[in-house]
Amino acid sequence: MTITYQTTVTGVGQLAAEFADEGILVFFGSDAPEELHEFAILTDHSGPPARPVSAGDEVEIAGARFPVLCVGPVANDNLAGLGHLVVKFNGLTEPELPGDVSLPAVPAPTIEPGTVIRIFTRSE
Amino acid sequence: MALFDRFKKKAEEATEAVQEAAESVEEAAGAVTDTASDAAEEASGEHVAAETAAPPVDAPPAGDYRKVRITPGKRGWGVGLEVKPEDGKNLIYSVTGGGIHPVAQRIADLTGGTPFDGFRSKADFHEIAVAVIDCGGTARIGVYPMKGVPTVDVHGASPSGPLMRFITEENFVSGVGLGDIEVIDG
Repeated sequence: MTITYQTTVTGVGQLAAEFADEGILVFFGSDAPEELHEFAILTDHSGPPARPVSAGDEVEIAGARFPVLCVGPVANDNLAGLGHLVVKFNGLTEPELPGDVSLPAVPAPTIEPGTVIRIFTRSE
Repeated sequence: MALFDRFKKKAEEATEAVQEAAESVEEAAGAVTDTASDAAEEASGEHVAAETAAPPVDAPPAGDYRKVRITPGKRGWGVGLEVKPEDGKNLIYSVTGGGIHPVAQRIADLTGGTPFDGFRSKADFHEIAVAVIDCGGTARIGVYPMKGVPTVDVHGASPSGPLMRFITEENFVSGVGLGDIEVIDG
């Protein structure tokens, strides 16, 4: 598989863990406005992925890989423009909300500064 | 739930802080409004020209503000919002990909407010007349309503996400396009 996107966590908001408890990880590039920092996971996002994220790709978080089950219609715009990615560990194959990237319904991995996020694609 | 209670408490604290800060800001507001209409005129040509559906802009005189009604688009949610900037609370705050969103620009052009890119500069909530977001339904959709900021989503999202309880018909409208913004006083 080919890496299409990679970013490193620079900060974890105070309330991000409570979102994670509900299976939701909300990433933003670190230039996101301050009001988004408290529940967001900030990254050193510096540019769009090499290709749009799609079902069948894999997301790697802290070394653990998860298959992408579905991708909402605005998720790629969010990621490309803002480094904003909403990952939901909900097992859904149709996006619940337009910004979602759905992964299997398993507990979200622990995120801390330095954690590396990668997206892999099978296509050439 | 504990999470919601914590957000609610924070929102209440934020509201108090805003009220306290509001008075001290009024003095600084004059300087900001002087530059507002210049910036709006400069930026409007490009965005409005790109959207043929938008009626021509009839900007208010410098330093004047107008009230607009912002209605939900065809697939949008809500009953609509009325927005009128005022001195010290005149930012049209765009929290969107790709800079100032055309919808934010148009609200600024019609009201005389100042377009502001939330990803480039920092503003306080009490300076924001309205926030424009392109949110898919989880995060931004609830943050600005929680902070007491009227919120316009250019996507047709309905209240959702962990902060859903803060989103009401009084503070949120969605699916808004350039043709959904109308001056109602002038």
